[in-house]
This record gives sequence, C-alpha cells and structure tokens, in this order.
Amino acid sequence: MLLYILKRLITVTPVAFGVSIVCFLLVHLAPGDPLSAVLPADATQQTIDDMRAAYGFDKPLPIQYAIWLWHVLHGDLGVSIATGRPVAQEVGRAVVNSLILASVATLIGFTFGVFFGFVAGYRRNSILDRVASALSVFGVSVPHYWLGMVLVIVFSATLGWLPPTGAGPDGSGNWRPDFDHLRYIILPAVTMAVIPMGIIARTVRALVADILSQDFVEALRAKGLSEFGVFKHVVRNAAPTALAIMGLQLGYLLGGSILIETVFAWPGTGFLLNAAIFQRDLPLLQGSILVLAMFFVALNLIVDVMQTALDPRIERA
Amino acid sequence: MNVVLPKLGARAALAGVVLLAATSASLAQGTLRIGMTASDIPLTTGQTDNGGEGMRFMGYTVYDGLINWDLSSATKASDLVPGLAESWTVDANDKTKWVFKLRPGVKFHDGSDFTADAVVWNLDKLLKADAPQYDPRQSAQGKTRIPSVASYKVVDPLTVEIVTKAPDATLPYQIAWVMMSSPAQWEKLGKSWDEFAKHPSGTGPWKLTLFAPRERAEMVPNTAYWDKNRVPKLDKLVLVPLPEANARVAALRSGQVEWIEAPAPDAIASLKGAGFTIVTNAYPHNWTWHLSRVEGSPWNDIRVRKAVNLAIDREGIKELLGGLAIPAKGFMPPGHQWFGKPTFDVKYDPEAAKKLLAEAGYSTAKPLKLKVAISASGSGQMQPLPMNEFVQQNLADVGVQVEYQVVEWNTLINIWRAGAKADISRGVSAINYSYFIQDPFTGFIRHLQCNLAPPNGTNWGYYCDPAMDKLFDQVRNTFDKAEQEKVLQKVHEKYVDDALFVMITHDVNPRAMSPKVKGFVQAQNWFQDFSNITMATASR
Amino acid sequence: MTAPLTAGSVALDGNITAAPDAPEAFIASRGFWGHVGHRLVRDPVAMAAGILILIVIAIAILSPWITPMDPYKGSMLRRLKPVGDATYWLGSDELGRDMISRLMLGSRLSLFMGVTPVLIAFVIGSGIGILAGYVGGWTNTILMRTIDVFFAFPSVLLAIALSGALGAGIFNSIVSLTCVFVPQIARVAESVTTGIRRRDYIDAAKLSGASAFTIMRVQVLGNVVGPIFVYSTSLISVSMILASGLSFLGLGVRPPEPEWGLMLNTLRTAIYVNPVVAALPGLAIFIVSISFNLFSDGLRSAMEIRQ
Repeated sequence: MLLYILKRLITVTPVAFGVSIVCFLLVHLAPGDPLSAVLPADATQQTIDDMRAAYGFDKPLPIQYAIWLWHVLHGDLGVSIATGRPVAQEVGRAVVNSLILASVATLIGFTFGVFFGFVAGYRRNSILDRVASALSVFGVSVPHYWLGMVLVIVFSATLGWLPPTGAGPDGSGNWRPDFDHLRYIILPAVTMAVIPMGIIARTVRALVADILSQDFVEALRAKGLSEFGVFKHVVRNAAPTALAIMGLQLGYLLGGSILIETVFAWPGTGFLLNAAIFQRDLPLLQGSILVLAMFFVALNLIVDVMQTALDPRIERA
Repeated sequence: MNVVLPKLGARAALAGVVLLAATSASLAQGTLRIGMTASDIPLTTGQTDNGGEGMRFMGYTVYDGLINWDLSSATKASDLVPGLAESWTVDANDKTKWVFKLRPGVKFHDGSDFTADAVVWNLDKLLKADAPQYDPRQSAQGKTRIPSVASYKVVDPLTVEIVTKAPDATLPYQIAWVMMSSPAQWEKLGKSWDEFAKHPSGTGPWKLTLFAPRERAEMVPNTAYWDKNRVPKLDKLVLVPLPEANARVAALRSGQVEWIEAPAPDAIASLKGAGFTIVTNAYPHNWTWHLSRVEGSPWNDIRVRKAVNLAIDREGIKELLGGLAIPAKGFMPPGHQWFGKPTFDVKYDPEAAKKLLAEAGYSTAKPLKLKVAISASGSGQMQPLPMNEFVQQNLADVGVQVEYQVVEWNTLINIWRAGAKADISRGVSAINYSYFIQDPFTGFIRHLQCNLAPPNGTNWGYYCDPAMDKLFDQVRNTFDKAEQEKVLQKVHEKYVDDALFVMITHDVNPRAMSPKVKGFVQAQNWFQDFSNITMATASR
Repeated sequence: MTAPLTAGSVALDGNITAAPDAPEAFIASRGFWGHVGHRLVRDPVAMAAGILILIVIAIAILSPWITPMDPYKGSMLRRLKPVGDATYWLGSDELGRDMISRLMLGSRLSLFMGVTPVLIAFVIGSGIGILAGYVGGWTNTILMRTIDVFFAFPSVLLAIALSGALGAGIFNSIVSLTCVFVPQIARVAESVTTGIRRRDYIDAAKLSGASAFTIMRVQVLGNVVGPIFVYSTSLISVSMILASGLSFLGLGVRPPEPEWGLMLNTLRTAIYVNPVVAALPGLAIFIVSISFNLFSDGLRSAMEIRQ
C-alpha cells in the first residue's frame, strides 16, 4: 500500500508543477505589463523597484517562475493589491468558509443522491426510477446561480423563513454549527448540493443495477441469502465508487462555488475570487486559484488511494 | 432577528421585562449594524479608502480632524466646526501662514496625549516620503486632499503652524480631511501600519474593537471622548460591507443589519410596506461623467460636450430611481448659493443634441464612440449599472455608441487618482464619478485647476484653461465669504456654459433603517454622526 | 424516460465522464448512422428536446426580424411590468424593455457563447486526442500529461481564472471556455482512438497496404468521430451554463446587449418587485440546457448498439 501511495505521489508531482505553471502564467496572460498587474495603482517608485527586484520582472520567464515558486513554497503568495494584506492570509480565512459550505453541500448531495440512486437501481423503470432520473437530469442542467436566486425569492423574499445572504448573524469570524449559523447555510448548501446529488444518483443507480444484474447475486439469492444480505452486498460493492465520487465532488464544489458564493455573499474563496476579479487584484486571483487547484489535486490523490484501499476489486499495482 | 425559537423568545422577553423594571434609567442602548456599499472594510489606519463612505464610517468615527464637520442639523447646510483644533486663523500680513490652536487634554484611545507633535507626525505620514511613519496607502488617500500645504511646524505643544504654497482661503476645508492617528500606538505596535490596522487608535468617539477584513468591523463608544455631547449612546456599532444593493435590502429585511446605505430603488416601496423607514436628505453631491481632455479626446469639442448633456433624459433617471434623485441643471444642485446664472440650459433635447453632433462631424456612418469607466457600486455612486445603461440608451438614441468598462469602486477611485493618461485608465475618455462638492476646493478647484493634474491632484482629465485658473486664484485669495461667493458663481457659470462635465443627477442619500433605530439626524453632508442614535428595545 | 443513467456522462464539472462506448464492431458508416437516426426518431424525449433546440436556434437566427418590440428601447414609465401585461406578455425589465424581445434576441448570444467553445474544442480536442491515441508512445505521454494538468482545475474555476485574467468580453469568454473543454474532449478522443487502433480492422487495412494517413482518415475518423461528437454534445449544456455564469459575474457580455446570464444579473435587484420576471432568463438557460442534455442522452443511447 505504501508503495502504491509513493507511486501515486510521484505521478502527481508533475501535475502539481503543471498547475503552478498555469497559475504563474495567469498574471502574464493579463493584458498590459505584468508588473503593473501585481502592483497597486498608487505604488511608489520604491515599491515598484522593490517588487521588480524581489520577483525579477526583468528576468526571463523561467527564472521569474523559479523565483515565484520559491516564494510560494515558503508560503508567500504575494500581497493583495486592493488591501495590502498578504494573499496567503486572505485565502486561508476564505478556504475555511468555503470548506464548511462545500462539506455541508456534499453531505446533503450525497445523502439524497445515494438514496435516489438506490431506489432507482432497485426498482428500474418504475415511477420512482423515472423521478430519480428526472431529478438527476435537473441537477446537472439547472444553472445553479439561478436556482439560488429562485430559492432566495421563495424562501427569503416571499416566505421570509431563511436569511438570504451572509455566513451568520455575526459574520464568519466565529462560525459554529449552531442553529443561528445553520439557518444561514441552508440555502447556499441546498443550491450547491443539487449538482452532486444528480451525479451521485446517476452513478449509484448504474452501480446498483449493474451489481444486481450479475449472476452471482442470483446465486446468492438461490443460496438463501436474505434480501437484506443482498442489500449489504450491494452496498459493499457500490460504496468505494460512490465515496470516490463524493470526494471528487467536494473538490469541484470547493473550486466551483464562485457563482453560488456570490449570489449568497458567502465569505469564501469564490467570493474572494469575485472581489479579486473586479478589483483586478491579480495576486489575489492567482493565489486563490493556486490554493484551490492544489486542494483539488490533493483530494484526487486521497480519493484515489482510499478507493484502492477500500475496493477489493482494484489491484494495487 | 425576526425568527426566534418560541422558548428562547419567551425567555428573552422575560429578561427584557426584568431589565426594564430594574434599570429603567440606564437602559442598554443596543447594537446598530450597518450595511455599507463598500466591498471591504475601509482602511482603518486613519486616512480611509472607499471615498466618502470610508470617511463616514471609519474616518470620523474612530478619528477626528483638526477641523470637523458640524453634523448636528438636518435642516441647514453643514459647515466646519472646531475639532482637535479649537481655533484657526490666517496671518493678517502673510496670507499663506495659518495658526492652529489645539484642544488641550485630548487623549488617543491608547491613552497617549494628543499634541502638536502628533499633528506634524500625521502630516508627515501623508506627505513626507522619507519619514519612518510614511504610509503609502494613507498617503495615496490623503495627499491629494491637501494639495495647498507647503510646510508645517510645531510652535508650542498646543500650537501648529501650516504654510500654504499660495494664499488659499479653502485650506480649512482641506484640513478637515486629515485624520489623526496615534503615534504612540504605532510605536508600540512595532512601527507597523499593518498591525496598526488591526488595533487602530485615534481620538474619535468610537473605538475599533474588531476588524475582520471583507466581513465586519465592530466599534464601542469612547466614553472619554472630549466632546461630551458626542459620546455614543449605543453599546456597539457594527459595519458590514454589502456591495450589492439587493444583498443590502435582503440583509435589512432578514434582520442581519438594522441600517443600509443606498437601498435598491425598486425595493423602497416594499421596504416601506414592511415597516422600514426611508431617510433622505439633500446633500452636496453630484453624479457626473468626468471628461478626459487629453489630446485626441472627443470631449475637446464643446459641441460634443453640449450634445451629450442634451441627450440625457434626467427625468427618466429620476423615475428609474423611484423619484430619489434631483435632476441636474448644472454642476451644483439647482438653487445652490453658487449656482449663478449660466446661459447653457442643461435639459433633455435630443434633437438639438443630434444637430450639434452633426455639426461636430458625426453621423450614422461615422458615429461618435465613447469608452467610459464605471463602477458596479460605491459610496455616492447611487445605482451605477442601471443608471449608466439608461444613459447609454439615451445616447444611442442620438447615435452615440458607448462602451463601458465596469470596475470595482476602489479601482475606479484609483483610476480617478491616476489620471486619464495613466495605464490603468485603459484609454477611457470619461469616468462616471460622484463628487463630494461641499466647499470651493472639493466642489470646483480640485477637478479643473491646471496644476492639480495627476499626480499632484485629481484633475483627472488634465483640463487646463487659464481663464478658469484665474477664477480659482480669485477664490483662493478672497477671504471674505460673501465676496468669495460671487466668484464661485462665476466659476459655476463657466462650468455649465462650457459643459465641462456631463452633468447628470444629484443624490438624496437614501438610507433604509429598521424602525428600532432612534435619534438619527441625517445631516446635509456626506458624513454622519452616529453618537445620538439609540436602539428601541421593543422588538418590531 | 429513456435517457439512460450511465455512470458519469453529463456533469457540470465534466470530469466524471466515462468515454462513450465505441461501436463494438465496424459497421458501414452510413448503415450505422442510419440506424442511430432510426432509433433516435423513436425516442420521444430526445425528439422533443431536439425539436425544442431547433426552435430556439430558429428564434436565435430570426430574432432581429421577429421580435415583437425593439429589444433595446426602454421606457422608465413602463419598467418591471409583470408577466401577463397586455403589451408586454412576459413583462418588462428594469429599464422598461420588452422581456420577450430581449429573451428572443438574447438567445443569439447565449447560444453562440455556449456552442462556439464546444465546437472549437471539438475540432482542437479531437485533433490532439486522435493524434495522441493513434501515434502513441512519447507523443501520447507528453500530450496527455499536459492535458492532465488542466484536469487538475475544476472547470468552473479554470473558466473563471482565465476570464478573470484576460478581462471581460465575449471573445475572452469564448477563449476561456474553449480552454476548459479541449482537455476533456481530447481525453475522450484519445481513449476512443487507442481502443480502436488495436482492433483487427486496422490491422487488416494495414495489411492491405493502405497508407497511415488513409487509415487515419477512413478508419479512425469514421469510427472515432461519432463517439467524440456525442460526448461533445453533452458538453453544450455545461458550456451554456458556464458562459451565462461568466456574464452573470460580469465577465462575459456587456450591456446593453441582451444575454440571458447578464439579464439575470441586472434583474436581480428586482426580485422583491417582480420576482417572476427576474427569474425568466434563468428559466430560459435551464430549458435550453436540459434540452441539450436530454438530446445528448438520447443520441448516446441510440448509438449503444451491441451486436
């Protein structure tokens, strides 16, 4: 197992490097002088010179990249143009909030997705199956930022049941899972959960149907295994894939939450990215994207390793 | 909060009754939470960013100037009052020399004394690039507010002398912008403005106790404030950045905040219906397009400037804003003491606009194309997106094609400060900017005086007209108020007759608040006083 | 519902996508497509979705001539009229412009911005994938590992990162979205090509003396393009949602051009006054997006011909 993890680590390293190169190049993609893209408009000549020296903006790109990477590896993601605060600090705070939201959303999506998937897989072509199918197509087709708006219209604007924006009655500074804070997370989390719900439902349905249609299930039944026993068997076989997809979905939600966080003013990375884009705060943009992408790479790795460990059918190469 | 668990609610009510019975005299005055239009907490170190709103919430709350604004009346135009200086006089013989007598016994929040040294230290923080306490961020905000200041020195511990570059009667207005941060606190925090930002110390009526970037700032009263009438009655003041108008309305309705700045106009009727109070008042504000006059700018042709001014349906904008606006007739609001008698009538006349454009050589085959920078939100910017889209439509009707660069408010401020020629202006020929037009300097001079072109000032468009400069010099040299007024009228007449701006509308500063908010007097000013506000304890 | 729930397929993230199965055996090109068409026609859901898509495309093409009112002409006196108004059947927007007309004209940009990136990515991605799959070896390794890097970004994040850096605008949005889809299509193209390369009929063709180019053109393209095409159609819905999302954030289309995502954004302030009208543009995105998904599902199931 250790060997397998090591092997995966080795294959993931070039990807991580690639990701850092893409993030590095973002600043150079931006129109205009890359130096002006990372400096505040009112920077003094002194600051400009310091920056030029610190990041080697006059040197060739590969060297600039090496310098930048060196800073990044030491936890220095640069300084936000808009606020003058270190990017690492800003992103760190936001990532926690995004993780809270994405985790709750994944949990909701997973619970409902697995439920619908199982029901549909067991009762293929029944009404329930069709409802589940419809729901999962809905999940992947609905523009979630619009769904968020609709939920706000219904549950906040019209019914007044739930708060429409923000992370809690007193901001996110001391977030805790109590009633007051959970009220705020319901709408964004449900909106966000719709996508993984559809995907997980689809996958679980296919898995369940596939397992049930295999010959050995018939054989188990013939041997007198109870329906519950069969169910346990199905769960054991479907779990690794379902969990893997859940893990990946967490990553997608974390990285893809910008629209939902914007609609709900949730103070996470998406919200931060939105601010960065509007303030043309490229160091902040670059830093948030690097952190999110690296999170995603790591998550992929973890999911992969866990899946291998859990699934008896996958051989550890 | 509107929704409370029944059990909790009962207990809270019970507690309330007990409290009422026990201490009816010394009632807790509650917490006021305010939804700002800024997307971040304004700079907390003293000289704030985020324009007028930054000064309103983070400047005049935590800090004082040598001179403050009188914010106590809703009915009369507000004027300057003594702040950390008890008096100021200009030398009778040398009109560039001003003497400020400081208020004795004032202490910063950290307990250190406010003295003449602190004044010089704070001016150095903005103006002296090699001073250890020089802060580029605050300097960027404050330097252009005080362009007349040439030098300053300590005379004695309670006297400061400031010398201007030339005689300038508008100096007091400029000085009212400069916020005094505590030198002792800065020393104590390792001479770091970043640390100071987290634990700021001023002399103002409020002390900052919590600062969560982009999310929240909390303040408590400074009970030792030097002006006993302005010691805050509230327990706590909370600032929440909510840049999106809709999110502000939502936050107010759901009880996350009790007060919002600039509610979405479309939501006002429904807010009133739900029992919220809408407060408005005239204040010295205008909402304009500031025009670039650099070489090659289409605005260098007066026919274009007049045509665009004539093409805008200002009544339509008022309608769009639910009536909460005053259509512009000039740069100053109609009826202002400096309005004068301009000959160019700023009105809606698309036919005349078309004629002027044709004369200027534009046609359907060769239409006038404009690139304009606008913000998505911001203090005083009203509802910039729909309003500009409306203007765009108006101009399309007379054959002018407008393309917008939408940027964040602080970015637009940076563009405004950097000037039309700067890279970050990205070739726009105008910016949509709302102005604080409270005094001769902020109202007129800073926009158009030749030598205030960036980086010396905020003459964004590099306008330069010797005739205008002559009038400005006259303003600065006229220390008699009534005489100065006459010159200012001439200035305004020239502003309008030459159509130097696209003059669009004036704001009435709408705010929406919960009926629990008591005692707020909306001054005719960009700044407001939060000291006398209390929160009614009875729930709505 | 005949849409099959195969593992993966359409996903907003696009990544959990198993390559659609290539036809098991070589079927004469025309016969195969004829068969697919036949099966598709008998699939009511896919047909309904297809017809809906055709209608929207027709509206998009014809909109400049058929909108009931001028989609740019507003009136402050008639703003935010409700749905069902005598003049404005679907109400009017925040500047008093007719919603039907704007929704109709908006379909142009929304469709254009949704479909174009997938089309371009289809061409580029197929090219890269087929090349990598057919040539194999180092070329494959280098190309596919580069592609892997882009898979390390969730699609939404990549699209926003690129648009955010490039700046707002229709062209930049299309560029960013294309960059999102190229790796996804390339990966599918590569796996399909690799699968087919090993098959007997390629060997047969090689033995018969056909040149490598001819083999690639006739055999590989014939058998590969179908599955890639089906996969690409499933991306259109994702692309539409993302493109509108960019406009919703202010990174795509600029006012006053009508585009559904942008309309949704500007109408947000009206949700207390006229929630139904404010929600309409999103409904339009939803309907078109679900139609593309259902049609793509139908196409996929019609192509699953096992012998």
